[in-house]
Amino acid sequence: MRALLFVLSCCVAIGLVIAYVAFGGTSYEPTPVANPCAPRPTHRASSTDERIEQVVLAASDAAACRLGVSREDLVLALRSVDDLDRLAQKSGHSRDDLEEALRDGLVRAVDKAHEQGLVGDRTASTLTFAAEHLPLGLLLSVLRETSSLL
Amino acid sequence: MPASRHTPTVPPVSAAHRRALVGLGIGLALADSSVVTLALPDILRQFDVEIPQVAWVLTAYNLGLALAAVPAAYVARRRPRTAFATGTLVFAAASLACGLAPSFGVLVGARCVQAVGGALLVCAALDLLTAVDGSDARSVRTWAAAGVVGAALGPAAGGILTETLGWESIFLAQAPLALVTLAALVGLHVRPVPGPAGRPNVPANVALLLISGALTAALFLLVLLLVDGWRIDPAVAGLIVTVLPAAAIATGRVAHRLGGSRTRAASGAVLIAGGLGALGVLPGSSWLWTIAPQLLVGAGLGLSLSALTERALHGRSPQAVHGGWTIAARHAGVVVGLLLLTPVFTSALDRNEERALRAGAAAVIDSSIPPLEKLGLAQDVLAVVHASNREVPDVREAFAGKPDDSAYRMLESTLVSELDRAVTAAFARPFLLAAVLALAALIPIGLSRGKVSV
Repeated sequence: MRALLFVLSCCVAIGLVIAYVAFGGTSYEPTPVANPCAPRPTHRASSTDERIEQVVLAASDAAACRLGVSREDLVLALRSVDDLDRLAQKSGHSRDDLEEALRDGLVRAVDKAHEQGLVGDRTASTLTFAAEHLPLGLLLSVLRETSSLL
Repeated sequence: MPASRHTPTVPPVSAAHRRALVGLGIGLALADSSVVTLALPDILRQFDVEIPQVAWVLTAYNLGLALAAVPAAYVARRRPRTAFATGTLVFAAASLACGLAPSFGVLVGARCVQAVGGALLVCAALDLLTAVDGSDARSVRTWAAAGVVGAALGPAAGGILTETLGWESIFLAQAPLALVTLAALVGLHVRPVPGPAGRPNVPANVALLLISGALTAALFLLVLLLVDGWRIDPAVAGLIVTVLPAAAIATGRVAHRLGGSRTRAASGAVLIAGGLGALGVLPGSSWLWTIAPQLLVGAGLGLSLSALTERALHGRSPQAVHGGWTIAARHAGVVVGLLLLTPVFTSALDRNEERALRAGAAAVIDSSIPPLEKLGLAQDVLAVVHASNREVPDVREAFAGKPDDSAYRMLESTLVSELDRAVTAAFARPFLLAAVLALAALIPIGLSRGKVSV
């Protein structure tokens, strides 16, 4: 009777933990984000905004891959200079490294989009000029404004 | 006329009433170690303090009780009636001070004083129960059972009072209830216990410390998960967590028939570890997932706490002193649990906040809503996150006034789900650490002298 109580308790305790693990208990956590260096499935852009968005996201992926951070961390860091500095510190880079990676990623994404016929000549040169010369804070605003040039 | 016909007579208090009154006093004092758990979010907001600071409302009381219990027990063995009366009055006065506290510092200070009163009350209660029952064994069982019921019912009672009348009502309601217990002293003669006190039962007390540390996770973290994590109404959360005391009381009633004290203590520790382990691997964020773990923890509590208390007091005299050691061990365990688990929990919360933000950003980027609207929505979501002031944000607020189409609804549901996943995962590590504490109690239980029952 005494041994039975202890054995029964062990069985119930272990059984419950195993059941919860079987129901997915160990994987119930935030969804991991995708690797920015791996190619992502793309869908056909149906509007100007979507084409611009694809260029920006491709640029973010390229820059994030080069810096060894996730695309989402990079996008969240673009909220302010402080956030950018925080990401630079966390990932072991300087803010200059981040800027360089972003500009380089954007130029490459624009080239690729131009080659694929997603953006026209004028838009491609405007975006490339912006990527190379504009202060980082203005870059995203400019990208939003360029929709009228397409 | 005989003089006796003019003497005012006090109605006699029956043994059952005395037992109930003393039990009420013990229950009140020991419920206080966890009664404010559900009130912590309200206290945090009212006094504008952080999670590690607000935990001191619990820590101060438990630390005070752990430090004062043994000295209080030595006082109680010499003057049990005076100790019970003084302890009750101090406890009631400090409860009023807690309920009327104008600042966080006063609240924590009053909690320390309340703990000293509680220690005197609880230790003297053991000798009072022996005087009522005329038997050490029965008084120990009543004393241990009142403590288990008080500790287990605390969070639920506190949650319901907080939601209906405000957190202050917990303390304001305690004061008159504590004073009522003084009626148990009317006409009761308690003899002081002379002679030196023997050495405490170290293994039983160490096991009590570890089990109490583990139970802190169940009582403290579970209500935080329900109220702050899953945004369940505190009154509803109070009802949900009554599963645990109900299981403890039901198991406690039949515990004596289930085996020797060592077997019950070991089985209880395993059940508590199993319940906490299951809380550490919750497969979803519905309160229904917490029911089975609560049943295990409650059953384990009903089996182990009373068994270990009986073991610590068995054959040891005076009872009050050894009772004091068990109170010190139990509440030192709660303090260890709070000090150990709070930093683990807060660091896990910080880490998972980042993971949730990242997963949320991915959900917004990959959603099918128009790109320019995404930017506006992302800003609204981030504004809600920043305005939440370290509480779990309600991202649904960011969707107010947005188009009622499937793309928005799907994104809202994804963000809420990611947040629930992050919060639930943040609680996993402290629950698993608490399960380890419960399992560690098997070592002193195994080392304690007595017939081996497993």
